[in-house]
Amino acid sequence: MSTPKEVLSQKKLKAKEELSAAGFFKPLKIYVGSATCENAAGAKEIMKIFETQAGKKDCRDFYLSKKGCVGRCNLEPTVEVYEEGKKTVLYVKVNEKEAEKIIDKHIKVGK
Amino acid sequence: MPAMSVSEKFKKVFLDDKYSVGQERVALRNVGLIDPENIYDYIYNARGYQALAEVLTDMKPEDVVEAVKKSGLRGRGGAGFPTGMKWEFTAKEKSLEKYVVCNADEGDPGAFMDRSAIEGDPHSILEGMLIGGYAVGAQKGIVYIRAEYPLAVERLEKAFCAARKEGFLGENILGSDFSFDVEIRLGAGAFVCGEETALINSIEGKRGMPRPRPPFPASNGVFGKPTLVNNVETWANIGAIFLDGADSFAALGTEKSKGTKVFALAGKINNTGLFEVPMGTTLKEIVYEIGGGIPNGKKLKSVQTGGPSGGCLTEKFLETKIDYESLAAAGSIMGSGGMIVIDEDSCMVNIAKYFLEFTKSESCGKCVPCREGTTRIYETLTRITEGQGEEGDIEKLELLGEIIKKSSLCGLGQSAPNPLLSSIKNFRKEYEEHIYLKRCRAKVCEKLVDYVINDNCVGCGACRRVCPATAIDGTVKAKHYIYSAKCIKCARCFKTCKFNAVVKETGLPE
Ligand SMILES: Cc1cc2nc3c(=O)[nH]c(=O)nc-3n(C[C@H](O)[C@H](O)[C@H](O)COP(=O)(O)O)c2cc1C
Repeated sequence: MSTPKEVLSQKKLKAKEELSAAGFFKPLKIYVGSATCENAAGAKEIMKIFETQAGKKDCRDFYLSKKGCVGRCNLEPTVEVYEEGKKTVLYVKVNEKEAEKIIDKHIKVGK
Repeated sequence: MPAMSVSEKFKKVFLDDKYSVGQERVALRNVGLIDPENIYDYIYNARGYQALAEVLTDMKPEDVVEAVKKSGLRGRGGAGFPTGMKWEFTAKEKSLEKYVVCNADEGDPGAFMDRSAIEGDPHSILEGMLIGGYAVGAQKGIVYIRAEYPLAVERLEKAFCAARKEGFLGENILGSDFSFDVEIRLGAGAFVCGEETALINSIEGKRGMPRPRPPFPASNGVFGKPTLVNNVETWANIGAIFLDGADSFAALGTEKSKGTKVFALAGKINNTGLFEVPMGTTLKEIVYEIGGGIPNGKKLKSVQTGGPSGGCLTEKFLETKIDYESLAAAGSIMGSGGMIVIDEDSCMVNIAKYFLEFTKSESCGKCVPCREGTTRIYETLTRITEGQGEEGDIEKLELLGEIIKKSSLCGLGQSAPNPLLSSIKNFRKEYEEHIYLKRCRAKVCEKLVDYVINDNCVGCGACRRVCPATAIDGTVKAKHYIYSAKCIKCARCFKTCKFNAVVKETGLPE
């Protein structure tokens, strides 16, 4: 019989597959802070803006995810952009205009 | 790839400014780094459920209790009771049925540490509870959370469903003999329901009122069964103890307070927010480095810790180290982690009144000292802030405060006078000015200042028209003036003027 540790390693493999299927290993990842505080500051609207970019012709493929609150109440909503091989960029006080700028800078093809 | 310590990952991503340099993320190790609604992110990227798997594979329940004792972890819900000892008491009870409870009531005004922990990383709380359940021999977990936290509740529910589906909850977890499941109980948001015995009553469907201890929940808790109650942040720390080892946990912090503490920083401070620092960090580092100092060049007047059960410290305590003992010695408490920065524009009598208004309305009414006492304190403070203070009030308040502390049934009453007593101790002069000179130096108490019109006045007449006492005179387009003898200090002129021409004066020396 396998030990709990062994059972977990199996689950870890499955987790990797599931994440891969969901697109987690794409080279471009966008995280939108979405705790109660971030949502109150407007994070839900920002999330929608990024959602509508997914699959568009002139856009790079990216993985979009929620994340908890890092604690910067006065700077919310926050958006993080992970690009393989580059330093993670943290955007703060993101409004619609700022979100469009992030899209232009990181997501639009040829930029 | 060698495993990063729990705190390193946070720094790697957020090491950008003073805000993150002084931080150590242990309880909040994954908050802000993973998707809280995706169990696979937790399993694959955050060593999720690895602590549980190791515990179930390699450790006997008594070894688990021993490790928690060794870590030096103390309860993060306020009182700071050694967690390992509590686990041991519950483990030693002989009963086939036991409960572990996660206290997520979080009733302190302005506190949101527990909410963020749950919303950002619900699986770590669950993993902590699973390890606790295994250690004390419980089969059932209950998360008691206030209904005002809908997103936190939703994420917990999602986490529990996913965990059940993946075999982390239910019968024979990860193929072991250990079976465990959890449920959520919603609280209606009464402060007293955070007190563990009131919480247990509330879980049982009874009115949320405390009962005398002993018996402690460890022997007689939910439905009379042995029950282990811990705070959200306490549970969040458990995983870290088993991932990085009890020794590495105990390496952080001071001699008697190990690990880290999460604080919610609010008030007159540049960086409001949530942060986690090692025990032993000084108030000064928190206010001026992590908090980024006080806005608008104002002076620091006080730091309030511990919420309605805590105290107001002055500038001279800035070197105080944040740990259970040092804060108590300075006249405040660690509490659950609320921290409010107060600048020179705030009136300490008014702040004490604010906290007493809170405890007065949150007192459950079961015991007389708390029910009647907090009301009397509130009435007296109201009188003082309205210019009706009398000689002897301060002494009466001090006596009453001590009596309430000594004779109340539960922690609510036993700590309710703290904001009052600490502000009298540290700001007695301000109380005296209110009572004897009828003056409020912070210009907060409307009745305790003079209203004067300055040269900004354009003579619009707005103040003259709203004055109910016809105390303001002047012709159109000429500077107006206030007859102080007729003024009833309603502050309407002050609130009406659009030109900042009505100012408050106290005549007090700086
Ligand atoms: C009035 C009152 C309110 C309390 N509110 C909370 C609360 O919101 N959350 C919490 O964890 N503990 C609260 N406590 C402390 C609990 O009674 C209990 O000590 C705690 O949940 C134990 O967990 P710990 O050992 O992990 O800190 C409160 C106590 C009192 C007297």
